[in-house]
Amino acid sequence: MAIWTPKPPIERLRGGFRLNLDEEERELLRGLFEQLRGLLLGGSDEPALKRIFPTAYHRSEDHELDVEYQRLMREDLVASRLTGLATVDEALATEPPLTEEQVLAFMQALNGLRLVLGTLLDVSEDLDLDDIDDDDPQVGQHHLYNFLSWLLDWTVRALSGT
Amino acid sequence: MSPAPTPVELEEPTVDTTISPDRPWVVIVWNDPINLMSYVTFVLQKLFGYSLEKATELMLDVHHKGRAAVSSGTREKAELDVFRLHEHGLWATMQQDD
Repeated sequence: MAIWTPKPPIERLRGGFRLNLDEEERELLRGLFEQLRGLLLGGSDEPALKRIFPTAYHRSEDHELDVEYQRLMREDLVASRLTGLATVDEALATEPPLTEEQVLAFMQALNGLRLVLGTLLDVSEDLDLDDIDDDDPQVGQHHLYNFLSWLLDWTVRALSGT
Repeated sequence: MSPAPTPVELEEPTVDTTISPDRPWVVIVWNDPINLMSYVTFVLQKLFGYSLEKATELMLDVHHKGRAAVSSGTREKAELDVFRLHEHGLWATMQQDD
C-alpha cells in the first residue's frame, strides 16, 4: 500500500526554495497581495492598516516624538511593503528555485495580509476555526486567515531550516 | 476602579521632563493576537542575530507576560530597531529607561 505524504507548501531545496502551490492558490494569493497593495497606496488612515503602522512611542509624554516618527517613517514603511510585494509578484511567476530574499519577502507579505485580515475579523489569540459557525457571514474570511497562517508557518519553517 | 481624587492645592513639583541623552532607550515588543509565535521567534533571530534559545525566550515573555524588551541603545538606534520590527509587522514601541 502506498503512503500518501502531502508535500509541504514550501520547502528548502539545495540552492533555494520551492513553492508547492497550485495555480488556483497562486491566483488567490496574487489577488490578495494586489488588494494589500491597493490599501497601502490608498492612504494610511484606513483602519484595517492599524497594525501595519503601529505607534512607535507609546508613552503620552513622547506623543510629539511619535507624531514626528509617523511623519518621517510611514512613507518608508509603505515603500518597504510595496518593494516586498513587487518581489513576491516576481517570485510567484518564477520557476524554482526561489531565493532566500524572495521567500523573506513572501513571508512578510503573508504576515501583512494576516495583520489586515486579522484586524478586520478582530481575531483573538485563542480563536479556533471550529468555533466559527458555518453560517457565520465571515466564515470564508476565517478560513482564508487560517490558510494564510498555515502557509506563513510553513514559510518560517522552511527559512529556519527545520 | 478607584474613585476620582479630590483636588488639593499642591506646590508644583519640579520634575525634569527634558529627554536625557544618557539614559538608554528600550525597544519593547508587545503581545498581539495575530502574529504567530514561530514568526515572532524567527523575526527576532533575523533582526537581532539572537540564538534560537534567546529568541524563543523573548517570544515566550511576550506571549506570557505581554511584553519583552528586545533591544536598547541610543534613541536613533532604538528608532531604527522599531522601524525594522514595524516592517515585519510586530507591535514594537520604545521608551526611555526609568
